[in-house]
Amino acid sequence: MNNDSLLFPSPLIPPSRPEIIQSLIDGVDRYNPDNVSILEEYLAVQLQNEEYDLMANLAILKLYQFNPHLVNEIVIHNILVKALTAIPNPDFNLCLYLLQEGALNDENVAKLITLQQLLEQARYQEFWDSFEKDEAYKELASEAIGFENAIRKVIMTAICMTYQSISADLLRSYLNFTNDDDEFESYIKSRELTIKDDVVIIPTNYDNEAKPTVIRENIKFEQLTKVIGYSNEL
Amino acid sequence: MAYQEGYEEDIDLAEEIDLLANEFTGVDEDLEEEALQDQMQLQLMLQQQYAQEIPEVVKNFIIYFHRNILENNVYELHGIYENSFNRLTEKFYAKTPWPEADYIAPMVNDDQVFLTLYRELYYRHIYSKLSPTIEHRFHSYENYCDLFNFILNSDGPVSLELPNQWLWDIIDEFIYQFQSFCNYRNRLKNKTDEEIALLRENIQVWSCYSVLNVLYSLITKSRITEQLLVSKHGGDMIEAAGEYGSRPLYKMLGYFSIIGLLRVHCLLGDYTLALKMMDNIELNKKALFARVTACHVTTYYYVGFAYMMMRRYADAIRAFSHILVFIARTKMYHTRSYQFDQINKKGDQMYALLAVCIALCPTRLDESIHTHLKEKYGDHSSKMQRGEEGLQTFEDLFLYACPKFISPNGPNFDDPNALTQTIEPHHHHAKIFLSEVRHQILIPTLRSYLRLYTTMGIDKLAAFLEIEAEELRTQLLIVKQKSRQQKWISGTLLEGEYVTTSDLDFCLKQDMIHIAESKVGRRYGDWFLRNINKFQDILAGMNLRS
Repeated sequence: MNNDSLLFPSPLIPPSRPEIIQSLIDGVDRYNPDNVSILEEYLAVQLQNEEYDLMANLAILKLYQFNPHLVNEIVIHNILVKALTAIPNPDFNLCLYLLQEGALNDENVAKLITLQQLLEQARYQEFWDSFEKDEAYKELASEAIGFENAIRKVIMTAICMTYQSISADLLRSYLNFTNDDDEFESYIKSRELTIKDDVVIIPTNYDNEAKPTVIRENIKFEQLTKVIGYSNEL
Repeated sequence: MAYQEGYEEDIDLAEEIDLLANEFTGVDEDLEEEALQDQMQLQLMLQQQYAQEIPEVVKNFIIYFHRNILENNVYELHGIYENSFNRLTEKFYAKTPWPEADYIAPMVNDDQVFLTLYRELYYRHIYSKLSPTIEHRFHSYENYCDLFNFILNSDGPVSLELPNQWLWDIIDEFIYQFQSFCNYRNRLKNKTDEEIALLRENIQVWSCYSVLNVLYSLITKSRITEQLLVSKHGGDMIEAAGEYGSRPLYKMLGYFSIIGLLRVHCLLGDYTLALKMMDNIELNKKALFARVTACHVTTYYYVGFAYMMMRRYADAIRAFSHILVFIARTKMYHTRSYQFDQINKKGDQMYALLAVCIALCPTRLDESIHTHLKEKYGDHSSKMQRGEEGLQTFEDLFLYACPKFISPNGPNFDDPNALTQTIEPHHHHAKIFLSEVRHQILIPTLRSYLRLYTTMGIDKLAAFLEIEAEELRTQLLIVKQKSRQQKWISGTLLEGEYVTTSDLDFCLKQDMIHIAESKVGRRYGDWFLRNINKFQDILAGMNLRS
């Protein structure tokens, strides 16, 4: 079957990655503590330009892992914030695995984990409630330009995978467009979807099609070599 | 062969030593029991007094061993390494260390290269059979430094040749001792002031950077990456390999270092980097790792584990089943191997991980693996389907089967609390992994309901499940996303595309769930093939008898 799932993994080599970063993370230079500032600056560019480079950010966390004196907590938070926008990819957890044992109890990291859990559990309204209510969350995400829109994209992807049609009110609350109808409608249009009688219609795609299929057995030649061998013995 | 008979006859001579040694045998097989270390030290001192009385057969063995090292006789070394050494260990050194290198030095003309190799075995034996002291740990580290210095920094390539198995074991043991040291250092409780002072003064010993440095240097020196690229895309192998890499010792050490880095990065929790190490290695039967069984098993264990931690359960299942089939099929060949127990233990752990992955991503398995899994972990598997109460089972299996993670930096010696705390990195990894599992605990129940219908209203299903309609919508969004997984199709191990990994799919049209099940047609082939084989065996048996 032709596969064009709406999901795609975080690219191993994002097109926006500069040459210098590429050669740095490919070689043993990635372990050189002197290079942490280059990678941190690159993260700042990602935050500014709405780009994302998981592998480069993991390289920062790797340097922190080996050199605890280099750790910059704000950088860690920013990396985690960017990883939130990559859900349902496992990026957020891949970052957490590289942190030190105690780091999960850090107040801000714990906050970001809360957001991650809400997104992964598809509790979108709760996600926005928490996000809107507590200034601390907005503060954490403040350096990531376009954060809210990136999260909307995460949610929208999940919806488009699951629904063929969904009530506009429900979708509006999932996407946190509760106050502004115009904004919601132009967003829906920008995603090339249509609203009819307060229902948003989502064209069928690989993920929301749900078509029954029969998988047939496929015997490879190698499986038969032994049996063919027996025929020689007769 | 003449020499072998020689030492079998000489065994009587050594019984005396055996008796003496037996007085000190109260040692638990359990490794790293700090409490036993004082006793161990005493034992060692006494042991050294007797070391002069090395049994004749062992003396002959060492001389023979030395001669074959000098002659680069890989074939004989293979036997010496895999059989003779272990047989003598069982006979004379089951509970005591081998003679110290200094004592045997005169027998081998003080050959430093041989003594370094001998010490490699000497310390490895202490780690596996006894309980290493802090001095052992330090000295073994120094010995590895000497060995790698000799290999990497001599004038030109060294002419030494060793069996592949041993080369793999060198890398494997080097990493094991690194891991063991990190865990030892993280448990300051019950350590003497002296030990703590030693740890504090020697932070470079067994440091992450020193270990990675060795592995990367071996890779660079052997030009193994270039060699792998040439073997994949064609080109001039001799030119790619260069002066060092064309020698088997360098080539294999470089190659095994790649697998070593796969492991080290997994132990450090860096799963993407771990799989990235394998960029130029293809997972197939012709790969070099398959030449050494222990390496073959290690490769798949860590590849599978890394995939599992990256939520790529389908890929993890593929890796685990591949190697478990291999282990089952080759069982009769490696029952006599000195690594049999280790391979079996890894196999058991992989069945546990397989059970976890299957619970998260139900998949049809190879028939024999499926049967074995059901026998071993059938109870666990059904518990893992039972929502909240299954979480404990996930955790138990994870902790049983995960690698021994490393916390790379050791405790903060200036923090008085560090003396009583123990850093346990596996809890960190288990916690994160389980948070992922927790999202999925309702999925099996939900799936079993969905399977019964082709269309169903949200309200009706919510009523069956005794949850709110909104909660059901949320759960359905989770089910949908979890039924898509990144899966390897071609290219490097890290590459992959999202595909459906569940036979049950659905979509929502507002408040109505439409369900579609993909059915697997009956599989006749497998059944017939197995029965043809069985029939053939019966025929062969009858022919034998008649």
